[in-house]
Amino acid sequence: MFDSIQYVLVYGFILGSIYLLISLGFTIVCGVLRVFHMGYGAVFVVAVYTMWMLMDTFHLSLFAAMAGMFILQILFTLSVIYFPVVKRYFEREELLLTSLILISFIVEEAANFFYPESAGVDIPTMILSGTARIGSSSIPYQLLIASGVSVITTAVFVLYLLKTRQGLVIRAVSQDLESAELMGAKVGLTHALAMVLSIIPPTICILVIAPVWGIEPTMGTSLLMTAIMVSILGGLGNIKGSIIASYIVGFLSSSVAFLVNPRMMGLATLFVVFVVLIFKPTGIAKNESIW
Amino acid sequence: MIGVGFLILLPILFVNDPDYMSLITSANILAAIAIPLAWQMSGIGRMNFGPQFFVGIGGFTAALLSIHWGWGPWQTLGVVVLFSLCLGLLLSPLTTIAHGLYFSLITLILPLMFLEVTFVYNETFQGETGLYGIAPFLELDNILIEQTVLCYCSLGLMLLFLYIVDKTLRSRIGLFAAAINDEEDVADACGLNINFWKMLCFTITSVMIGIAGWFLAHHDGTFAGITYLPLPFMIKILLVVIIGGRGELYGAIVGAYFVTILERVLTVLGAVNYVIFPLILLILLFTLPEGLYGLYRKHKYREYYPTMRVRKR
Repeated sequence: MFDSIQYVLVYGFILGSIYLLISLGFTIVCGVLRVFHMGYGAVFVVAVYTMWMLMDTFHLSLFAAMAGMFILQILFTLSVIYFPVVKRYFEREELLLTSLILISFIVEEAANFFYPESAGVDIPTMILSGTARIGSSSIPYQLLIASGVSVITTAVFVLYLLKTRQGLVIRAVSQDLESAELMGAKVGLTHALAMVLSIIPPTICILVIAPVWGIEPTMGTSLLMTAIMVSILGGLGNIKGSIIASYIVGFLSSSVAFLVNPRMMGLATLFVVFVVLIFKPTGIAKNESIW
Repeated sequence: MIGVGFLILLPILFVNDPDYMSLITSANILAAIAIPLAWQMSGIGRMNFGPQFFVGIGGFTAALLSIHWGWGPWQTLGVVVLFSLCLGLLLSPLTTIAHGLYFSLITLILPLMFLEVTFVYNETFQGETGLYGIAPFLELDNILIEQTVLCYCSLGLMLLFLYIVDKTLRSRIGLFAAAINDEEDVADACGLNINFWKMLCFTITSVMIGIAGWFLAHHDGTFAGITYLPLPFMIKILLVVIIGGRGELYGAIVGAYFVTILERVLTVLGAVNYVIFPLILLILLFTLPEGLYGLYRKHKYREYYPTMRVRKR
């Protein structure tokens, strides 16, 4: 029993950290643009498959491919998602959401067409192989590194939002768009910046977990669902809430997996989120702004 | 009437081709789901992201009763209606307590929860493979005649739904639905019992979607949660509603036929069709803001144009 509790605590923290990294970008878009980014799953797919394309087809080194991938990600976000869809259909929600879903589908299917599972896509971003022992639990080093990366990335984002002038503008736009505009904030630019910022955490996340997590062209949908669950529980678009919610979901998942039945992990999370949506739809967060 | 006549004649043109016959049947069933959904979206003033939940309820109820108790389609129908009605009534308060995006999120989660349940209770629902051995509507020696009859049955179901919803929306209830869709608070201030009408609309349309699920189960003889409950099926229904013509009933039929036929036609391209199909739909979404039905109504004044709200207000 003590061993199980130890596993629950360790894996709860690891899963919570990874969920946080998965959902951080989604929370930023939700908080700043007030848009439900249904195309968020495409960010993970673009990250993995453009990097693989640059390495496999263009024979770039790991770091060159990573840099190239980040540039392509930014171009993709601005030229495919933000300007033609989000900006254009900002007030027409059904078209906005449907377009984002379709873009996500196109990206997944394109990845599947060019690099199906049989292509053996493998991102060599393993920082440390092997496993560590914490008490009686053995954990892959890569997952521990992923947890650390998640905590650092989140801290950097929080500091950026709280301590920089641009962060202040982002918070202002998030709190009240019209007032921020009246005070001279460039809303369009801030929205575009938020879209670009939102791709950083999921891209880092997928690069770090890729060596130990399954990679497949359709992974975007399940990662999007994780991001949605965390964001709903935390309160849409609030980073504080998302941090707490990530760890709640992480500990809930590990508790159910180690103490009840691993098959019920997904159902338990969905059930908790469903109940929260009915009885406290605003989630954990006390306000609807980003911080 | 011309359109309905065309739909009745269409199966006759392909009577010797079972492949096309099943294609038309699929389009009819998709339209049978999209028609009540179009009414629901305007009638409750919210966007339902999980209409497939009731497809699953209808399908699994019919499948389980048929497999375990040997019930035929007409026996399971009553239970499907009753069960969908009870569940619709139970969930209908969501239309009053959950606003905007929160309603959409709850409805998004419901079918995913159901899907997880089918995996957890795999012995009952056969989540991985689906249930099979469901009593068919009819078993004839001639497969072509059987397919033709089933195709007309699906058309009958779709036309029945169209008639019911069309009549309803042309009545006072349609006016109430438009008032609720446009501005709930104003409708409330005018003395309309918005909670009652929203709950009624949600319950009735849920039963109709449940019946579509019942039809699918008995038509295919098999029913799998993995086919109907995940996001892709929801997206297909959503696209039928939006590509056909937002909130336009007849547009839902056009959309269903267009999406089904396009999907099948593009298979000649091979594996790349999976990329081309959503790409074409995206282009259509960009170029036809009123959907395909909007082309027909291009030069006509549209009396009422429903708003679809998702975002939190």
